[in-house]
Amino acid sequence: MVLVYEFVWRVLHVLLHIHRTLITLFRIRLRNWNGQLWSRALATLLVPIALSFPKQKKLVPAPGKRVGRRYRWGADGKSLEKLPDHIGLLIAEEEPRYTDIANLVVWCMAVGISYISVYDNHGVFRRNNSRLMEEILKQQQELLGLEGSKQHSVEFLNNGTDKQDNQVLSCQAVVKVLSPDDGKLRIVQAAQQLCSAVEQMEKTSKDINVTVLDSLLRESKSTPDPDLVLKFGPIESTLGFLPWHIRLTEFISLPSHVDVSYEDLFSALQHYASCEQRLGK
Amino acid sequence: MSWIREDESNLIEKLSANILKAGPMPKHVAFIMDGNRRYARKRQVERQEGHTQGFDKLAETLRWCLNLSIHEVTVYAFSIENFKRSKDEVDGLMELAKQKFIRLLEEQENLEKHGVCIRVLGDLTLLPLDLQQHIARAVVATRTHNKCFLNVCFAYTSRHEIANAVREMAWGVEQGLIKSSDVSEALLSRCLYSSNSPNPDLLIRTSGEVRLSDFLLWQTSHSCLVFQSVLWPEYSFWNLCDAILQYQLNHRPLQKARDQHREGQALQQHEADRACVADLLQHHGNGKPLDAQRRQEALLNYTASREERVQNFLGALQHKRDSFLTDLTSQAALA
Repeated sequence: MVLVYEFVWRVLHVLLHIHRTLITLFRIRLRNWNGQLWSRALATLLVPIALSFPKQKKLVPAPGKRVGRRYRWGADGKSLEKLPDHIGLLIAEEEPRYTDIANLVVWCMAVGISYISVYDNHGVFRRNNSRLMEEILKQQQELLGLEGSKQHSVEFLNNGTDKQDNQVLSCQAVVKVLSPDDGKLRIVQAAQQLCSAVEQMEKTSKDINVTVLDSLLRESKSTPDPDLVLKFGPIESTLGFLPWHIRLTEFISLPSHVDVSYEDLFSALQHYASCEQRLGK
Repeated sequence: MSWIREDESNLIEKLSANILKAGPMPKHVAFIMDGNRRYARKRQVERQEGHTQGFDKLAETLRWCLNLSIHEVTVYAFSIENFKRSKDEVDGLMELAKQKFIRLLEEQENLEKHGVCIRVLGDLTLLPLDLQQHIARAVVATRTHNKCFLNVCFAYTSRHEIANAVREMAWGVEQGLIKSSDVSEALLSRCLYSSNSPNPDLLIRTSGEVRLSDFLLWQTSHSCLVFQSVLWPEYSFWNLCDAILQYQLNHRPLQKARDQHREGQALQQHEADRACVADLLQHHGNGKPLDAQRRQEALLNYTASREERVQNFLGALQHKRDSFLTDLTSQAALA
């Protein structure tokens, strides 16, 4: 009897995998074909899935059109009921594509998000920090043009450097690259710091509370907790992303960061704008 | 309504359970039981009725979990943030909880039969004293049961739990039981309210919200997260099966990620121990560099003594927590 159950289980999972693969294939094909009819037909076929099909295909825009799109991005951001102050891009895929991530970062900036964090659970981005930064600056030039790049200046936060509070330029964005060490390890280091202070009799255990720990774990007083995390990839988990900071974060999953389009990002932002946070009340 | 229902599953449900069990199954599932109030609005009944039905659904879900051989369940019953609600609603919830814990004590035989161990995680001192006493009696009465475990998070937020764990470690330092260099990820995990449980394999949130709301943030860093749009009082066996399927699809990559994290943790601990030993040798040595063998010996000795310190500290912490509960029960007995 057990063998029968096992067999049925295997068949079930094979079907599920085929289902998943078909969806991925159709998504890729749709991008290339740009067929409205196709998307409608497939939507009816694959109805039970809560996936948004891309509405437009990704074109390489003509230079003139580029300026128009940049202004559109800004207008899009203003049209939303609420925009996250801090967005996290969680890449849960094996092979990261730096250009696509750079695109995402630049679009987030253009739309008006001030803090952007990029994370993967192997620490790859952290190790290749400079490569990612170069790519972001390059895409910024390409997507926003020279003028746009001046308007939207980017500050890259490395671990340990403080954000300078002196000059606040309009549309300044802060990009941070995170790894699992910024999660539990940071909390443990803060705990060691506090215990050390207790050892030196500078503090007592009763002085330790949520506020004290929070101030130690905050990058700077002005950095907000992530309001929204976009997760790219098939794995349904936070994979160690900033456990302390994500208590009220909304999680929206997107299938992949490879060839991601602005429309994918914007529809996720629209979804976020409709979330209602009751904060316990 | 009872805490645990008798098995009422039909043939199809039994078959489906057996099919699912052919694959990897979560051993510990956590639920954010969201949607009671929206359910009440939808059915046009009182909010309190929504919460009561929510509790009934919990009892039903526990039975399904037992049928699926899921032996540990953690639920988010009441957050510290929920104290912000209207006095009427908070009082209503406290009263409901009191009734349920009193009922639990009446059902002791049934609980013993199923071997159910109830634990309550959270800052109990924030609750009314009579509720604290009922909780303490329930926890102490079921302490020795070990067939299945129900952890109820009451007056709980994850940040409070983590801050409390850090405070306990600082207390350990104050008492001279451990040193600040003994603080590690593993030790912090053992100081959380959930220290007697493994991390949840699967976290389910109902009602369509896609956030964690300060629930088990530390423990679920590598858990499978499933967000379902059904309202909690309308949760069905099939919703649970759907969530478990999601878990099975994510099982291998998550296992891999968890193993990688554990390896990294072990490496960090080893490095920390090496650094401590090097420090010690520098301070207590006579200036002559030790050979590799003696260094290795010193490292092993240090690790062994650190582990002994940690065990003693954890024993003292457990004793402190047990005493808190037994004090409450003796207060209740005297009252």
